[in-house]
Amino acid sequence: MRDAGYSPLRDYAAIGDGRTLALVSSKGSIDWLCLPDLDSPSVFGAILDAEKGGGFSLAPEPPFTVERAYLPETNALQTIFKTEVGVVRVTDAMLLPGSGLVPSRELARRVEGLSGSVPMRWRVEARFMYGSGRAELSRLGETPVARSGRDALAVSSWDAGIPVLDETSISAGFVACAGDDALIALSVAHEEPLVLPSRTEVESRLISTTAFWREWSAGRTFEGPWRDAVIRSALVLKLLIHSPSGAIAAAGTTSLPEEIGGDRNWDYRFCWVRDSALTLHALMQLGCPREGESFFWWLLHASQLTHPRLGVLYRLNGSDHAPESILPLSGYRGSGPVRIGNAAVDQEQLDIYGDLIRTAWLYVVAGGDLDSDTGRRLAEIADLICEIWRRPDCGIWEVRSQPLHFTHSKIMCWVALDGAVRLADRDLIPHAHATRWRREAEAIRAFVDERCWSEEAGCYVRSAGSSELDSSLLLGALMDYPSERDPHLSATITALRRELGSGPLLDRYSGEDGLAGTEGAFLCCSFWLADALARAGRVDEAGVLMEQLIGLANDVGLYAEEVDHQSGEFLGNMPQGLVHLALINAAVSVSKAQRR
Amino acid sequence: MSIWGALAGGFVGTLVLTSALSAASEFGLTRMDLPFLLGTIVSSDRGRARVLGYAMHFAVGLLFALVYLAIFAAIDRSGWALGALFGLLHGLFAGTALVTVLLPAIHPRMGTPLSAAADQPLLEAPGFMMLNYGRRTPLATIVAHIAYGTIVGGFISFAS
Repeated sequence: MRDAGYSPLRDYAAIGDGRTLALVSSKGSIDWLCLPDLDSPSVFGAILDAEKGGGFSLAPEPPFTVERAYLPETNALQTIFKTEVGVVRVTDAMLLPGSGLVPSRELARRVEGLSGSVPMRWRVEARFMYGSGRAELSRLGETPVARSGRDALAVSSWDAGIPVLDETSISAGFVACAGDDALIALSVAHEEPLVLPSRTEVESRLISTTAFWREWSAGRTFEGPWRDAVIRSALVLKLLIHSPSGAIAAAGTTSLPEEIGGDRNWDYRFCWVRDSALTLHALMQLGCPREGESFFWWLLHASQLTHPRLGVLYRLNGSDHAPESILPLSGYRGSGPVRIGNAAVDQEQLDIYGDLIRTAWLYVVAGGDLDSDTGRRLAEIADLICEIWRRPDCGIWEVRSQPLHFTHSKIMCWVALDGAVRLADRDLIPHAHATRWRREAEAIRAFVDERCWSEEAGCYVRSAGSSELDSSLLLGALMDYPSERDPHLSATITALRRELGSGPLLDRYSGEDGLAGTEGAFLCCSFWLADALARAGRVDEAGVLMEQLIGLANDVGLYAEEVDHQSGEFLGNMPQGLVHLALINAAVSVSKAQRR
Repeated sequence: MSIWGALAGGFVGTLVLTSALSAASEFGLTRMDLPFLLGTIVSSDRGRARVLGYAMHFAVGLLFALVYLAIFAAIDRSGWALGALFGLLHGLFAGTALVTVLLPAIHPRMGTPLSAAADQPLLEAPGFMMLNYGRRTPLATIVAHIAYGTIVGGFISFAS
C-alpha cells in the first residue's frame, strides 16, 4: 500500500460542465479529468496513479493551510491558501460555452492575491488515454500545447509566469501580490482544431458560468432543514447529468477502491437503470422537470434495443456496450486493478424492471405523457416480468456469486406489476393483461411473505430461505411495498439497524457476494434508512440520523460511495450520485414527516 | 428516365427502407428510428412526432429519388445496380455527415457533443455511423439504403 502522492478522498471537490468532471484536491491539484466526456479516457489521472496518471497542480511554494468552499450555490470552487508570506485565493471552474467560437471544453483557474506576496507554482502534466498516450508538447504562437492523437490541450495563462516546457510537463512560477489577478485556462479540442480564447473571453465565461449555476440553484424548490446539503446534492447531480444525452452517471470516477489495497474497484461512469426511479423522484422533488423529462426520454430510447429485456446499465451515449478491462495503472494508493467498463452489464437483475415502470409512473404523476408506443412497450415489460420473476438473479448489489432469489428483486417485480396495473387503470398502457399482472403481483407478495420472512429474526431477509440481512430491503418502504407481515417494514428497519448498523452507518448486507475482501459502510443505505424511518412514523429518529449523516460529508458537502467504519475516510467512487439522490429524497421525506 | 418513375421509385423505396429499419428495430438490431428523429424536429409529443416524421421521411425519400434521377440523367446511365451503388453511398452519407453532423446541428431537441449543463436535450445524438443506437445500426442502415437505391434505380430504369 502506498500513500505518497495521494490525497485522502475526502480532500476532493468536483467541478464540471455537464459533459465531464474534474476532481480538485485541497492541495490545489486537479487529479482527475476525462476528456472530452466523463466516460472518455483520462488526461489527468493522478488519483489512480500518482506517477503515470498526470495532473494539474497549482499551489503556493511555501507551506500553507487551506480553507475552501464552493461559491454559494454554484459548482465553482474557491480555495484560499494561507501562508506565512501572504494569502491567495484560487477559483476553479469548468466553463460553460456561451455564444461565439469557444473551446469544446474549457477549465479556468483564477489566482487572486489577497495579502502579502506569495510565490506560486503550477504544473500541467497531460497524460492522455489513461496515461498511455504520449503527449507531444509544443507551442502554438506563445501558447503551450499538448497533443496526442485526436486530442489536444492548450494552456493559456495571463500574469501567471512564463510557461516552461520540458519533456513531460508545462510549468511556471510567479508571485501573487495583494491585488494581483492571474488566470490559467485549459482549452480542449477533440477531433477538431484548438480554439485559443482571449483573457477577456475566459473571464467573461467564468462570470456567466457562476451566474448560470446560481440561477439554476435558485430554481430548485426544496425548502426545509438541510437545504444547503440538498442544494449541494442537486448541484452534484447536475454535474453527473450528461448534457448531450440526458443520461445520469452513477459517479464521476472509476476504480476508487471500496477497500484500500482491495480489488473491489469498479467503473461507475455509466447510467444504471436501478437508480432511475430514485433519480426521477429526486429531480421532480427538486423542481427539475426538464432534467426529469430528458432523463426519461433517454431511458426509453436507450432501453429500446434490448426490449422487452433491460440492460443493467448503459453508456452515457445510450450504447449498451461496456466490456470490462484492466488498465496498467497502480490504482489509488496501490489499490489495483483499475477497471474500465463494467461486467455487470451482462448480469440478470430483476429489480431494474420495477425501477423502470416506477420511473414511468413517477413521470406520469409529475404531469408527463406516455405515447401509445411507450405504453405498449411498458405493457410488454410487465408481461415479461410475469414470466421471469420466479428466476434467481444477481440482485441490486450485482453479486458475482451464485444467483439467488433476492427479496429486494422480488419486491421490485411487485413494484413493476403494481405500477403497470396503475398505469393501465388510467388507460395509459394497454390493459388487456392487467388481470394477469394483478394475479402475479399477489403471487410475488405471497412468495415474499412465505419464503423471505424469517420468524427467527423477526424480519425480512436477504434472499428466500436465508438468515442474512440486506439494506436494500429499505427500498421496499420507499417504493410503497405493502407488506402484510410488517406494515411499515418497521421490524425489518430495526433489525437492519441492529445487525448491519454502526452509529449512523449501515453495511449493505451480510453474507457472501462472490468477491474477496471487505468494504466500508454504504452511505446511500444510511439515507434510505432515514427515509424509511420517516415513512414509518419514526420521525425523531430519522431527524437525528439525518443530522449525523449530513455531518459525514466532506468540507464542501460531497460524498463518496462509502465511509470506512473506523477512520471515517471516504472509500469508493466519488462524487456518488446514488448517495446524493438518497440524501435529497430522505431530506424531502423527513421534512414532510416533520411538518405533519 | 422520367420524374414519375423517380417519384414512384422514391415512394416504394422509402416504404421498404422505413419498413426494413422498423423491422431491424423490432429484432433488436438497432434503435434507429428515422421518422421519430425527423418528427421530433417539429414536435416533442412522441406520438405526433412519429406521424409527422413518417410524412417528412417520405418527402425526403421522394427528394432523394429526384437527386438520383438528376445524377442518372447527368451521366446518361441508370439501372438497379447503379441505384444500389448510389444507395450504398447514400447510406454512408446518412451515417456520417447527414445524421451525425447535420441533424444534431438543426434538431432543436437533440444533444450534440457541445451540449453543456445549460442545455437539456430530449434526444441523444446518433454518433458516428449512428453507433450510439446499437452496434448493428450501420449494417441495418446501409442495407436499407441499398434496397432503397436498388428500387429507385430499377423504377427509373423501368420507366425510361
